[in-house]
Amino acid sequence: MNKPSNPNGRAPGTPPVLQLRGIGKFFPGVIANKDVDLDVWPGEIHALLGENGAGKSTLMNVVTGIYQPEEGEIILDGYGQTFTSPQEAIRAGIGMVHQHFKLVEAFTVAENIHLGWDEAPRIASPAVMEARTQEISERFGFPVRPDARVCDLSAGEQQRVEILRVLARKARLLIMDEPTAVLTPEETRELFRALRAFRAQGNAVIIISHKLDEVMEISDRVSILRGGRKIGTFNTADCNPSMLAATMVGRDIVRRDMRTRPEGAAPIAPEPIMQLRHVSVRDDRGVETLRDVSLDLHGGEILGIAGVAGNGQRELTHVLTGLMARTSGEILLDGALVDRADPALFAAAGVGHIPEDRLRSALAPSLSITANMALREYAQPPIGRHGLYDATAAGALAHDIAGLAQVNIPDFAMPIRNLSGGNQQRLVARREIRIASRVLVAAYPARGLDIGAIATMLGYLTDLRDQGVAVVFISEDLEDLLNVSDRIGVMFHGRLMSVIPAAGADIATIGMLMGGREPADIQAGAAQ
Amino acid sequence: MATRAFQRLPTAPAGRILMLRLVAIILSLFIIACVLALSGHSPLMLAELIIHSTLGSRFGLEDLALFMCPLLLTGAAVTVCGTIGLWNIGAEGQFYAGAIAATGVALGVHGSALTVLPLMTIAGIVGGMAWITVPTLARAYAGVNEIITTLLLNFIASLLTYYLTTGPWRDRISGAQVSTQRISVSIPEMWGIVHWGFPVAIVIVIGLALVLSRTRWGYEIRIGGANPEAARYAGIPVRLRIISVMLLSGGLAGLAGMFEVAGTVHRLQGGMANNFGYLGIVVAVLARGSCLNVIPAALLMALILDSGIVMQTQQLSASVILAITGLILFMIAIGDELAHYRPLARTTPQGTAAGSKVS
Repeated sequence: MNKPSNPNGRAPGTPPVLQLRGIGKFFPGVIANKDVDLDVWPGEIHALLGENGAGKSTLMNVVTGIYQPEEGEIILDGYGQTFTSPQEAIRAGIGMVHQHFKLVEAFTVAENIHLGWDEAPRIASPAVMEARTQEISERFGFPVRPDARVCDLSAGEQQRVEILRVLARKARLLIMDEPTAVLTPEETRELFRALRAFRAQGNAVIIISHKLDEVMEISDRVSILRGGRKIGTFNTADCNPSMLAATMVGRDIVRRDMRTRPEGAAPIAPEPIMQLRHVSVRDDRGVETLRDVSLDLHGGEILGIAGVAGNGQRELTHVLTGLMARTSGEILLDGALVDRADPALFAAAGVGHIPEDRLRSALAPSLSITANMALREYAQPPIGRHGLYDATAAGALAHDIAGLAQVNIPDFAMPIRNLSGGNQQRLVARREIRIASRVLVAAYPARGLDIGAIATMLGYLTDLRDQGVAVVFISEDLEDLLNVSDRIGVMFHGRLMSVIPAAGADIATIGMLMGGREPADIQAGAAQ
Repeated sequence: MATRAFQRLPTAPAGRILMLRLVAIILSLFIIACVLALSGHSPLMLAELIIHSTLGSRFGLEDLALFMCPLLLTGAAVTVCGTIGLWNIGAEGQFYAGAIAATGVALGVHGSALTVLPLMTIAGIVGGMAWITVPTLARAYAGVNEIITTLLLNFIASLLTYYLTTGPWRDRISGAQVSTQRISVSIPEMWGIVHWGFPVAIVIVIGLALVLSRTRWGYEIRIGGANPEAARYAGIPVRLRIISVMLLSGGLAGLAGMFEVAGTVHRLQGGMANNFGYLGIVVAVLARGSCLNVIPAALLMALILDSGIVMQTQQLSASVILAITGLILFMIAIGDELAHYRPLARTTPQGTAAGSKVS
C-alpha cells in the first residue's frame, strides 16, 4: 500500500531501520492496533500523527518491547526481531523517551544516565560518572549539568537527560512521545536542532505529536493512525496542516472566529465577579511565586493567560479557586472580601476549576466513574440530602455528564482509571463546567487533546462566556488564546506583566512579554 | 513471535476472585491433609471431627459465633480505617483498652445490668478511642505514620492488662491467675452461649457498609482514601475526616473488647485479646476493603481458629494451627493475584471482532 519512498537517496538495498508488518495488539474489548505496516529509514524523522486513542503509544510500546504484539512482525535492519522487554529493544538500538519522564528524581543527572547501563564502570565515583556524563552530553549536543539533581531541573532539562540516557546506549532509532508538550518555544527549537543533527548521522527518529505545525517543521515523512489502523504515510513536503488534520480526524475541522458573540449572548458585565488586589504568594521555601497580581474577572468575558509554564500560572489558578492561601493582598468575590482559602467555599460560589494536572488532582482513580462525577455536587440535592449520599442520583448525574462529554461508558461502576486519559479529561471538564455558574478557571484545558477535542473544548469556553460566566483560560497555545480570549494577560516570574485586549494583540508583543520584557520597553521599542 | 498466554487485567472481577479463593482453600486443605497423613494422622478422621465440632453441631456453631463476634468488629475497625487509606494495626491494643475501661466500670459501678451494661458499652468505645487518640492526632497534624504508632501502643495495652490483672484488679475471691474477679453483669445470651453482642456486631458491620456507601461522610472518606489531593480540591476537610475515621476505628475495636469481657469471658484476663486485633487485619485484607465482605471473612477466620482448637485436642501443637492459617492465607493471596490474569485466545480475530472500539 505504501511503497517505501527513498527521500535521502540511500544506496539501493539499504534496509529500513525498522519495518513493521501487520502489527496487531488487542486489549480486552479493544483493538489498539490492527494491520499496521510502517517503514522507518535511516536518516529520516518520521512523525506519527493521530487523535487520542488512535493507537500511537501502543504501537510504540510494541516496538520498544513494553507490549508484545498478538499479530505481525517487527523487522530490524532486515532481520525479524522479538523483544520481550525494553532492555532488549535498547540493546538492539531502539530507545524511547516517554511523555512522562522515567527518571529517578532524587538522583543526579550523572547517576540517572548510568543507571541500569551495562557500560557503566563497575566502580564509579560521582566524579567519574559526572565526567563521563559531561563527555556524552558534549558528544551528542545536549547540554546538561551532570551534578544537578533531577528534581531541581526544568522539564526541558529533564527531557535532555532522558534523551542522553537513550543516546548513550547507542540508540539508532529514537522514539519521542509528545516531546514538545512540556517545552518552551526556545527549548523546542534546541530540541529540533539536536534531532536534525542526530538524523544527519544516519539515525532515525519517530516523533509522536498532535501539533501539526511541528510535524510540518521537523518531519520528513508522516504516518497517520486512526482507530488503531494506519491510514497512510506521506512525504511531509507534499502535505499541508489542514490536509493532515482532516486525514487524522477523518472529518473537516471548522475554524471559526470565536471572539464574536452570537445573537443573544450575555454582554461583558460592568461589575467584576472576582477581583484580585495586589495578591502575592510565597511557597514553603519563602520564594515569591505570585507577585503583586491584580486583576478583575467580568462575567461574559474570557481572560486568556499566556506565559511559559511555571511562571506562576499554577499559583494563580490555586488562588482563584481557594486551593492556596495568599500571603498578602485581597481577594473579592462580588465585592465582598474572601478571608480564607477554602475550595468548597469557592465551588459553592460557582467557581469551577479544570486543574492543570487534572488526572492526578481532580479524580480518585480507583473509585467508580459515578463517584468521581459526583465530586463537585455530592453535598447538594439531589445527591446530598440530610447528610446522605444518594447513589442513584449520583449515577444519573454521571450519566448526564458522560452524555454531554460524549464519552461512551460501558459501566459506570468501573474504576475511572480504566478510561483513557483523554476521556477522563473530558469528563472532568464537563463536571467543572456544570458547577461554573459564575467563574471557570481552566488551566491548559486543551493539553493532551487532539484537534477535534480542542475545538470542542474551546467551544465549551465560549458557550460559558455567552451565558455570562467569567472564564480564565490559561494556555501555552497562543493561537487558541488569541482565538477565544477577549483580554490576554501574560505571566512571567510570578508577575502579571500586562493585560491587553486580544483583538489588537500581536504575537510578537506577547512573545516578548512572555520572555520577561517590560511592557514599557516594548512600547518604547515600537515607537522608535 | 513471542506470545504471552495470559494478560493482566487492571481490576479483577469479583466472581473470579471468589472462585480462585475457593480453589485456594481446597488446595490448601489438600496440602494440609497430605502433611497430616505423612505425620501419621488420619486426615479423614480429623476432617470429620472438625466438621462435627464446628459447622456440624450446635455447640460448634455457638463457638463459631463467639469467635466471629470480636473478629467482625476488629475486621470492621481495620476496614473502616483502610477506606481513608490508613492502616490501624492497633486494634489489639484498642481491644484491650476497651476491655479495661469496661471492666473498670463493672468493678466500680454497682447496679442492675440495665444501668451497668450501657455504661460499660460507652466505656469500651471511649477506651478504644482514647487508645488511638495519640496516633490519630499525630497522623492528622504531624503526618506521623499511623502503622508504627498504633502497633507500638498494642504492647503497652497488653502489658497494662497484665499489670491490672496481677496487681490492683487481681482476683482476690477465687484467686484465679492473671485475671480479675468475675464481673457481676453480662450481656444476655440469645442462643446457647451466644450473647446478643454477636447480632449487634453483624448489624454494626452492615450499618457501616451503609454509612460508607450512602452518606456524605462516607463518600468524603472514600474520596479521601482514594486520592487525598482530589479530596482537598473538592473542599473536603481531610484532616477532620482522618480524625473521625480513626476514632471510629478505635471505638469499634474497643467495643469488641467490651463484648468479650461482658459477653464471653466475664472478666478481664491477661492475653484475652487472643490476637483478635491482629486477625482483624487479616479479616480486613480478606474483605478487600468492603465492609459487607467482613462478615464472610470473619466466618472463615473463625472457622480456622475453631478448627485449630479441635486439632489441639488431637495432640497437634498450636504452631501447626498457625502454619495452617498461614498456608490458607498465602494460597488465598496467590488466588487473588491470579484472578487478575485471564488467558488469551490463541487465534485473535474472532475473539476481538466483538469489541471493535478503541478507547
